[in-house]
Amino acid sequence: MSEQYVNEPMLDLFIFESMQLIEQMELLIIANEKSTTYASEAINEIFRIMHTIKGSSAMMLFNNITTLAHSMEDLFFVLREDKPPNVDYSELSDLVLEGLDFIKVEIHKIRNGDEADGDASELITSLRVFHNTIKGQDVKTSDLNSAQGTVAPETRPQEKQHYYISKVRSETTSLRNTFQATLSFEQDCGMENLRAFGVVNELRELVEEYYHIPEDLDHEDSARVIAEQGFTLFIKTDHSLEEIHRVLIQTISLRDLQLIQGENSELFNDLKEREILLEDSPVKVPTAFRDKVVNEPEEKEIQASAIQQSIISVSVAKLDQLMDLVGEMVIAEAMVTQNPDLKGLELNNFEKAARQLRKITSELQDTVMSVRMVPLTGTFQKMNRTLRDMCKKLNKEVQLQLIGQETEVDKNIIEHISDPLMHLIRNSIDHGIEMPSERETRGKPRLGTITLEAKNAGGDVLIIIRDDGEGFNKDRILAKAREKGLLQVPEDEITDKEIYNLVFLPGFSTNENVTEFSGRGVGMDVVLKNIEAVGGGIAADSVPGKGTIITLKIPLTLAIIDGMNIKVGDSRYTIPTTAIKESFRPKMTEVIVDPDNNEMMMVRGQCYPILRLHDIYHVQTDVIHFTDGIIIMVEQDNKTLCIFADELIGQQQVVVKALPEYIRNTKKVKGLAGCTLLGDGSISLILDIGGLIFRQSA
Amino acid sequence: MKKLLIVDDAAFMRMSIRNMLQNYEIEIIGEAANGAIGVEMYQKLRPDVVTMDITMPEMNGIEALKAIKAFDPQAKVIMVSAMGQEGMVKEAIISGAKTFIVKPFKEEFFYQTICKVLGI
Repeated sequence: MSEQYVNEPMLDLFIFESMQLIEQMELLIIANEKSTTYASEAINEIFRIMHTIKGSSAMMLFNNITTLAHSMEDLFFVLREDKPPNVDYSELSDLVLEGLDFIKVEIHKIRNGDEADGDASELITSLRVFHNTIKGQDVKTSDLNSAQGTVAPETRPQEKQHYYISKVRSETTSLRNTFQATLSFEQDCGMENLRAFGVVNELRELVEEYYHIPEDLDHEDSARVIAEQGFTLFIKTDHSLEEIHRVLIQTISLRDLQLIQGENSELFNDLKEREILLEDSPVKVPTAFRDKVVNEPEEKEIQASAIQQSIISVSVAKLDQLMDLVGEMVIAEAMVTQNPDLKGLELNNFEKAARQLRKITSELQDTVMSVRMVPLTGTFQKMNRTLRDMCKKLNKEVQLQLIGQETEVDKNIIEHISDPLMHLIRNSIDHGIEMPSERETRGKPRLGTITLEAKNAGGDVLIIIRDDGEGFNKDRILAKAREKGLLQVPEDEITDKEIYNLVFLPGFSTNENVTEFSGRGVGMDVVLKNIEAVGGGIAADSVPGKGTIITLKIPLTLAIIDGMNIKVGDSRYTIPTTAIKESFRPKMTEVIVDPDNNEMMMVRGQCYPILRLHDIYHVQTDVIHFTDGIIIMVEQDNKTLCIFADELIGQQQVVVKALPEYIRNTKKVKGLAGCTLLGDGSISLILDIGGLIFRQSA
Repeated sequence: MKKLLIVDDAAFMRMSIRNMLQNYEIEIIGEAANGAIGVEMYQKLRPDVVTMDITMPEMNGIEALKAIKAFDPQAKVIMVSAMGQEGMVKEAIISGAKTFIVKPFKEEFFYQTICKVLGI
């Protein structure tokens, strides 16, 4: 393709579409690998995918991808057309997956702006060898060599000189004109032999006899010969030179045409002597074509498996921008409708209009949010590949069960959880699931099971990874934690759950033998870090000998939350409404102070710690007596806390903005999730309830 | 302005074709992601020329070509093929495709092909 057309969006689309196709193909392979043979729809689909990738990468001039895709396409062409017996499908899967990995790496390079310079020749050789192996078992394959590019001479039709005369016409000998036409085609137009065939096809109705050089247009080499030497056509016809010229000159991609009239029939008779072939049909039906007709029912299968697309793809950057704009609009809306200038005014019509604006803004926001939501399906499905590779390498037998993969999560978040998930699955297979023989002696089914489940829980999504392996070894974890000095709680007070969660601490890794897959120097702490980066959390539980459960909690979205704005002195804070249980004006009788001066609130017979916001954030306020202010009871992870503030301002959707970098860099403020802009233009700090509870209990 | 319908299952190819023609007097009146949609759009939009991919889900380019030709024998269809598809291309020519182009192709060549097919 011309350089100027390789622009960014096209490259993006190429990357996006190719990656999607590769993922789809991986799934197909893994799904089919289990059975002894590939389903015919799968072979069709894979053939089509490789074909598309070949075409697209050729347009982008990524030649190494093109060649590799081409050889894979060829392989599946043979599988589709010949259905050769005794194919080693497991080897095929390995080969093809390896090929996909290669393409993936190249695409990653392209995405990063690097040269796609990988060398696929080794892979292509392996594919060829495999191709030849299955070909060796099947005679029919010889027809397909043209696709492979290696033509075995003895299988080609004999190099006879053919020309075709339709039976009826050949009997009439009153043909007046003979012509010799030499055509050459545009450089690099491709498949010159078929262009020539097109010419012959056009002329068929007009001419009685014809003969051409090269004779065999099906032959691989004929394209090259025509490109170099042109295509020469001898015809015998009742039509005039002008008429023939008119037809020939219409040939598309024609570079040059020479048409001369033969003196008499000498020229033709000369050729006739070589060999005359009488055929009922003037055009030979190519073998591949005939196969096609026989295979008609198969085509139906394709139709059934295809999915209609009514989806457009949009770059995430654009969505981010849209989200930002909607966020700004939410703020602007608040700035207008809650404008301080309006205070105390009687504005009935304005109120009505403002309500309408608020309604539409909130709908718009919901819609934009929903656009950004993508199902976890892709992320979950990817784990199949991880599982397959791990099992093959470690000789373990594990199945993956996926539950709730249709659960939707913000696109940005999905990108952050893919790696942690993969790591956790690897860990489960490597450290959790036992070897098949060992499982049998323990009375467990040979086949291990890992369940990956996603479900909605309030404003969060829970992703649960459950395996039926040997579970965590409590003593070993404890010993390790002791050794590394990670224990902060006295050992006799620590609960099992707390022990299990020690594995997420930085610098913790129980496995001495670092394997290729898990424990590559990075441990569970990296998983935790990734999850925390999107505001999520992680928890582990385990039953010795029975298995392990790891729960990831990730927020649905990052950008906009429903918040309750509160006031402390001159400062504003926002509490996510999902965390609020209730708020009330306390009575002094309900407040208890323990000997250490810790204040508690007694609510319906339960005691909860009180957190004075003005205290922890050092805010000047006149409201220091509980009876003057308000208590907001918040809950997270089954832990409850009472926050004491001056007053409630009101509920509002707020756009979460990260704390400015210079604040984050200078000081880590515990209990703050970010900040936001309120309607009156003031800045409000968004409280991180989990952090506050942690701070209180620490 | 002449009207063009693109039938290709790869969004990338549809975009390529669109980009190639952006500076020319050719209006792309539709994009179809498979043969079946292509035939339907042809009947509805009556384009002057169609670019038709060969390997597509639902209904492949050859079948779509035949269906379009059955509906409108004058239809001008350019097959978009790739190396290794000689058999299919041949079938397309027999079935009435005006011509074909081979991926990868260049913009000028592509435009000239369209012009020639349209007789302009």
